[in-house]
Amino acid sequence: MKEYELDCYGEACPVPLVKAQNKLKELEVGDVLIVQIDHSCAMKNLPEWARKEGHNVEVEEVDDGEWEVVIEKVK
Amino acid sequence: MSDVNSSAASSSGGSSIRRSSRTRSRKKKKNQLPIGVTLFVLVVAFGIYLGTRNEQLAVFWVTGLAFGYILQRTRFCFTAAMRDPYLTGGTNLTKAVLTAFAITSIGFIAIKYGAYAKGLPIPGQSYIVPVSLATAIGAFIFGVGMVISGGCASGTLMRVGEGFTMQLLSLFFFVVGSLWGAHDFGWWKLNVILSGKAVFLPDVFGWMGAVVIQLLIIALLWIAADKWANRKEKEA
Amino acid sequence: MGIKDNKYYKEWIKDAWPYLTGAILLSVFQIVTLATTGNPWGVSGVLANWGAWLYEAAGGSVDKWYYFSSEGARRTLEGGFLNHGGSIRNLGIIIGALVAVLLASGFKIKKIKSWKQIAAAVLGGLLMGYGARIGFGCNIGALYSGIASFSLSGWVFGIFIFLGAIVGSKLLVKLFM
Repeated sequence: MKEYELDCYGEACPVPLVKAQNKLKELEVGDVLIVQIDHSCAMKNLPEWARKEGHNVEVEEVDDGEWEVVIEKVK
Repeated sequence: MSDVNSSAASSSGGSSIRRSSRTRSRKKKKNQLPIGVTLFVLVVAFGIYLGTRNEQLAVFWVTGLAFGYILQRTRFCFTAAMRDPYLTGGTNLTKAVLTAFAITSIGFIAIKYGAYAKGLPIPGQSYIVPVSLATAIGAFIFGVGMVISGGCASGTLMRVGEGFTMQLLSLFFFVVGSLWGAHDFGWWKLNVILSGKAVFLPDVFGWMGAVVIQLLIIALLWIAADKWANRKEKEA
Repeated sequence: MGIKDNKYYKEWIKDAWPYLTGAILLSVFQIVTLATTGNPWGVSGVLANWGAWLYEAAGGSVDKWYYFSSEGARRTLEGGFLNHGGSIRNLGIIIGALVAVLLASGFKIKKIKSWKQIAAAVLGGLLMGYGARIGFGCNIGALYSGIASFSLSGWVFGIFIFLGAIVGSKLLVKLFM
């Protein structure tokens, strides 16, 4: 079970989501992707998309205006 | 429509995802609440000041604040509503925008019909503008621009408030582009817009007819958006 | 801090709200806007005025432009920013969003990261500004307010802004990501 980090700080909509979608394709089931974002849109649309795909998702606010979206690839 | 909150652990109930580094070196979070409250007080003071100059200005101020606050809290994004069906397959915002269209339509038609029924001038009719090639071209390039700049008109303003310097730059050039467009507007008006026609739907379908047809179209679009999102899921 | 655990602080101020809430509340204030100001919500028209004021401040003149030739337009220009409702409202949107993030302790300055972002902001801004003028408005004035006002122009705008967004997405991925 591997862990990957995706730094998306400073990226504009919809870049974090698109990058996460592409990166997640490379992962194996059980791997975890941690997406670091500071865009308020992404903190909503990224978890929404990941959950719709069926993955486990957690969002944690790590600093003012900064979040880590932790996605565990389930299928 | 699932909604997301920013605090820790969501649907998986408790931190169930196994992670190596539970916490990065966490910077100590500053508490911005005092600054926020101070700004809020200034905002109210400014509103009162504006009200003394002109009552209407206070209304513009309050509605602007409300729009900005609501857009930010809900992460509402017209750009994403138009862009995501193509780019990510998601239509949650598309459906939300359609819902907004429907609800606002009901309120607007009520106000307009109310005025009409009393023989008063109908408010907001200046927004019934001619349909011409300029509408199509203008809308098209606006659509291109909003997606590449990461925000539409309202979204850009909201993001300036959130601290995105990219949108500050975008706003400046939005202003420049607007001036340029205003400069050329005379040409467009003469050569393109004059051949167009403004159509107020109740004039064509009657008041009730227009409401029914418009809400029906919105409902059909909503269903289409809903199916689109689920179709992508089945394919995946 | 005690307040951060308060239920109302969390739900009303700290956490993000559902999109549906946004649709309802925006509608409420759109309706308030039409009822109190006599016109629906608009954003981009104001920006043309901002451009004119900046241009005039830099020594230019828009006196001969058709766009600013109407009496209403002249009065607005002469009145200046602080007397212009639309300008106040646009400023309000910026400040409203700022207050929202500060109260939720989520404000952070996001600096521009790359030349691509600069190019995207410049080009995107210009396209939006120009497009909004000839299209009689933006996603708010022409699309949202247009459709809600039962103007055919709103629907036509909707079709083409959607097409533009698709092309924009392709460009975004190819050139600006």
